[in-house]
Amino acid sequence: MTVSTSPVDIPRSSLDVFTDAALLDPWAGYRELRDQGPVVFLDRYGMHAATRYSAVSHILRTPDVFISGEGVMMNDESNQMIRGNTLCSDGEEHATSRGVVVKPLTPKALRPLQEEIRTQARDLVDRLTARGQFDAVTDLAQYLPVTIVSNLVGLPEEGRERMLLWASESFNSCGPLNERALNSFPVLGEMVEYATTQAVPGKLKPGSWAEAVFLAADRGEVAKERCPMMMMDYMGPSLDTTIFAISSAVWLFARHPDQWDLIRQNPSLIPGAINEVLRMESPLQCFSRKVAVDTEVDGVALEAGSRVITYYGAANRDERQYPEPDRFDITRNPTDHLGFGAGPHACVGMNLARLEMRSLFEELAAKVERFEVLSETRALNNVLRGFASLDVAVHV
Amino acid sequence: MPKITYIVDGQTAVTVDAAVGNSVMQVAVRNDVGSIVGECGGNAMCATCHVYVEEGPVDSLPAVSAAESEMLDCTLSPRESNSRLSCQLPVTDLYDGLVVRVAQEQV
Ligand code: FES
Repeated sequence: MTVSTSPVDIPRSSLDVFTDAALLDPWAGYRELRDQGPVVFLDRYGMHAATRYSAVSHILRTPDVFISGEGVMMNDESNQMIRGNTLCSDGEEHATSRGVVVKPLTPKALRPLQEEIRTQARDLVDRLTARGQFDAVTDLAQYLPVTIVSNLVGLPEEGRERMLLWASESFNSCGPLNERALNSFPVLGEMVEYATTQAVPGKLKPGSWAEAVFLAADRGEVAKERCPMMMMDYMGPSLDTTIFAISSAVWLFARHPDQWDLIRQNPSLIPGAINEVLRMESPLQCFSRKVAVDTEVDGVALEAGSRVITYYGAANRDERQYPEPDRFDITRNPTDHLGFGAGPHACVGMNLARLEMRSLFEELAAKVERFEVLSETRALNNVLRGFASLDVAVHV
Repeated sequence: MPKITYIVDGQTAVTVDAAVGNSVMQVAVRNDVGSIVGECGGNAMCATCHVYVEEGPVDSLPAVSAAESEMLDCTLSPRESNSRLSCQLPVTDLYDGLVVRVAQEQV
């Protein structure tokens, strides 16, 4: 890790934002950092942290200065390991591979899938409400991503049962070089190995998204050698992020029955409520960017070569942007939240994630009067926020 | 401040002051100009901020990027040669007098 010397005018903090306690309950720490300045130097990690909305938004929307091509993870090891995927590229190179990856994820491409996803959501919600109690993570949230989405991606069967582990560990590898990151490296290695040796033409499901990437390479739309790493674009992000968002939504609605009542009375509020869930409990709390040239963010100087962590989770709770940021208010409809990031690297799967969430919560709103949390266990992850398990009873 | 006119419901012209730096989508949302949704927050991912550029300083608008073009193929109201995603139009002083017609179907 490159530890840069911080210019004097950057506020410094000795806060450790990656302890178990801080990850489980980051809000007070985020507030402390926001109040110190738009960008703060984290002594403990030798990186900057951007936590105010305006700073994070500016960084994400200024990709020539805050580059992704040297990786968006917070340690050199994983930035090396997954070099060349769409997430970690810039400019033309990024635009061409993103253009290929986004193809099946545009609103138009997803339209024919709506019916299937809705039907599956309806059947699932019917089964679970009949049971009366279920785990909102394994029984509810994992269902659509694991059954439908992973099929659409179309990777070969062998290894697919490892997919959830790969997803969570590939996100752990994004953090600074702590124990969680170190422990994830063998699994990340396994995932890279699968992407290069198994996720290859001949083994991919015909008509799948993964196959389409190789067909695009055959047509010369993207360089062939980029394909294995582009498989990684589909492998991790399509699962955990959506799963965590769905379970967080259930948890929020259980704690705020008045908000759930609003939805039951008026289901057209669901898309806005999804935005509010993603603002409050952003499944992906942070990535990072390398500073390519000396620059300034809201008056704070940043040196070329340093790295800045972009905290979506903190920006989304910034009182400078959202009045009473800790209040869950589904009528707020914050379409400008940064839960999906922003700028050229904004989440490429956001339309699919929204579709899955909308379908599930429309069905739940039609049937469930109340969610009651019986027990909850948060997942501990360097960059993800959500639940490992969330047992709920539903009153119909 | 530059003024932008939005034609909503195919007929009503609404003229608002547009803050430089905001996108034509953000100006519409902040001023409650009907039917522009902007669901993806201005990231050229949702095609719910579709407008037709009708008149004014049309030459000062940025060219349509590949990402915008891909998403313009997803609009519910048909794409025309003057179709744009209003989130991809960051307001400058040159935009004064711009007239856009808001596509009627967005979601
Ligand atoms: S706001 Fe989503 S494409 Fe313009």
